[in-house]
Amino acid sequence: MIDELKIKARELLKNKQVDLIIGYQRASDGVLAMPCFVDREEDVDKLIWDVYCVYNLANYLKDYAGQKIGIIAKPCDVRSIVVLLQENQLRRENVYIIGVECSGVIDEKRLRLGAKDIQESATFGVKCKSCKSSTPSICDYLFKDKEKKGKISEDKDEYESVRKLEVRSSLERLKFWEEEFSRCIRCYACRQVCPMCYCPKCVADQAMPAWFSKGANLKGNLSWNLIRAIHLGGRCIDCGECERVCPVGIPLRELNKKIEKDIKELFKYEAGANVEQKPLLASFDKDDPGDWIK
Amino acid sequence: MIQKIVTKEELYKLLNYLLQDFEVIGPKELTNRGIFYETIKNPQDLYLGEGFTTEPVKKLFLNPSEWFFKCQYKDSKNSLEEIALTKTKRIIIGVRPCETKGLELLDKVYNSEYKDEFYVNNRNRTVIIGLSCAKPDRNCFCTSMGGSNVESQGTDAILFDRDGKFILEIITDKGKEILGSIGNEPSEEEKKHWQQDKEKRKDLVKTKIKAPEDLDKVFEDPYWEQVSKSCLSCGICTFLCPTCHCFDLVDEQRRRLRCYDGCAFVDFTLQASGENPRPTKKERYRQRVFHKFDYFKKNFGENLCVGCGRCIRYCPVKIDISEIVDKAPV
Ligand code: SF4
Ligand code: SF4
Ligand code: SF4
Ligand code: SF4
Repeated sequence: MIDELKIKARELLKNKQVDLIIGYQRASDGVLAMPCFVDREEDVDKLIWDVYCVYNLANYLKDYAGQKIGIIAKPCDVRSIVVLLQENQLRRENVYIIGVECSGVIDEKRLRLGAKDIQESATFGVKCKSCKSSTPSICDYLFKDKEKKGKISEDKDEYESVRKLEVRSSLERLKFWEEEFSRCIRCYACRQVCPMCYCPKCVADQAMPAWFSKGANLKGNLSWNLIRAIHLGGRCIDCGECERVCPVGIPLRELNKKIEKDIKELFKYEAGANVEQKPLLASFDKDDPGDWIK
Repeated sequence: MIQKIVTKEELYKLLNYLLQDFEVIGPKELTNRGIFYETIKNPQDLYLGEGFTTEPVKKLFLNPSEWFFKCQYKDSKNSLEEIALTKTKRIIIGVRPCETKGLELLDKVYNSEYKDEFYVNNRNRTVIIGLSCAKPDRNCFCTSMGGSNVESQGTDAILFDRDGKFILEIITDKGKEILGSIGNEPSEEEKKHWQQDKEKRKDLVKTKIKAPEDLDKVFEDPYWEQVSKSCLSCGICTFLCPTCHCFDLVDEQRRRLRCYDGCAFVDFTLQASGENPRPTKKERYRQRVFHKFDYFKKNFGENLCVGCGRCIRYCPVKIDISEIVDKAPV
């Protein structure tokens, strides 16, 4: 499959269909992957594709606005490209989506925390276990998984842990999140890794006025983490990258999933599902819940 | 230096006793989160295994969020209240040799010509018990950075895990005062044996790099753009680095706060005029490398990196500073 991918990449560069291909290459440890930017045919051989290709490369599209980009994208990554298209951050003709069929990538975070040594047997990411499709919803070229490993997704309720939290009292939930957020070091990696966090000036970086404390203290952290999550309401496509990169292990995905679940229930809207659909926050429907607007 | 053989039980018993007079801080394993320095209430909670803490010990000396003073304006009068320094004596146990070397590098900035009262106070009220690394991982490259996994530099005493017990080396008077009473002195033969083992332990650090003598001549090389393309401009590598020490000063609600800042952030060098001299990842990542492997060396005679591997281990996209420095096109 990788040879097929390289041939395609070479062809795209040669025909000048794209200026650059964003893909994966092997990291210095010889096992994990890292992003790779190929703009010359002779570099195509660096490209790889396997279970270690965890990153959502759609995040890099904003670095190359206006250029023609080929991007290797898993089904979850494609969902974020869909949101970027819906939100007019990207022109469809400027991105060539090289979709890959995916049956799950490793849980890089667990690997890192268990950090004894890298083992092939590492389990799949939590997000993969609730991922519904192994084929990207839109793409310009599709790489089929010849081995047909199929989905690893488990049929269990994807909101199980959210439901467990939901039933607790609001005081208990506050305590839970305060404990979690008190560990935040304000590295903003969760923001930087998110393809949907593209504000030219993040509210957290504004100094005049500053909207909340810049310091890593509970008050500032609470504001920061809640603002981050809420700004992604109806936009987060559950690529899980924010939770994966958080160095102190805050379960950010729980928060994202709660918002995702609420939106599904209230508005029957799923982020990144349909490129023709208007973004949730830019649409109005007379059947929307809440009488105050009618 | 005094050498002792101590059992885990002896050590825990002593720590239990010391808890009366000291705050004891050490690595603790938190489920699904990793290993972190935490205040220890029960020595059994200590993690003295092979894994490394996510956050560096730096955090306990350079507070990520330090309040300097409060001002008030009341009844048409201004007042300024200094924030009192913490005086609690503390013991930090389980600190890795690279991290204590890191503290010595921070001393050059915060405790030499200029003395930062918060930092110096934290230094003075702390006894450091180190822990040698029996299992460096592939991101560790301390032996290439002038240190090693068995180095006692910067500690008051250091522990070496060996055959289910600890070899304790007491370095300073401070260390002797609190640890002098426990353990047995090894025999001459044991000492010799240990010395050999220690040398062997250094070979466990497999990653070797060569930091260039003079990076200056490749400042303009396209290399920096190549290697920084995937960088996310986040704060992980700088905040988790035991030697990075840049900060931001902000006034919040009539209080002055010093908090961490880092050269990877887009706004780090943003000026009031709107001009940003380091507008792209290239300039920012290059700055990180140059501060560590060029400017600091020129000012203080050493590289500002101890090879702890944190920035590689935790980089969201696996950027490897050791490889980047090693392969710099000088
Ligand atoms: S919020 Fe997290 S999971 Fe959602 S799109 Fe952003 S990085 Fe992905
Ligand atoms: S990645 Fe984690 S520690 Fe960093 S800012 Fe986000 S929540 Fe805080
Ligand atoms: S941790 Fe990695 S991605 Fe983040 S700023 Fe450092 S090098 Fe860039
Ligand atoms: S630059 Fe990286 S390897 Fe060097 S001391 Fe800092 S975190 Fe450790």
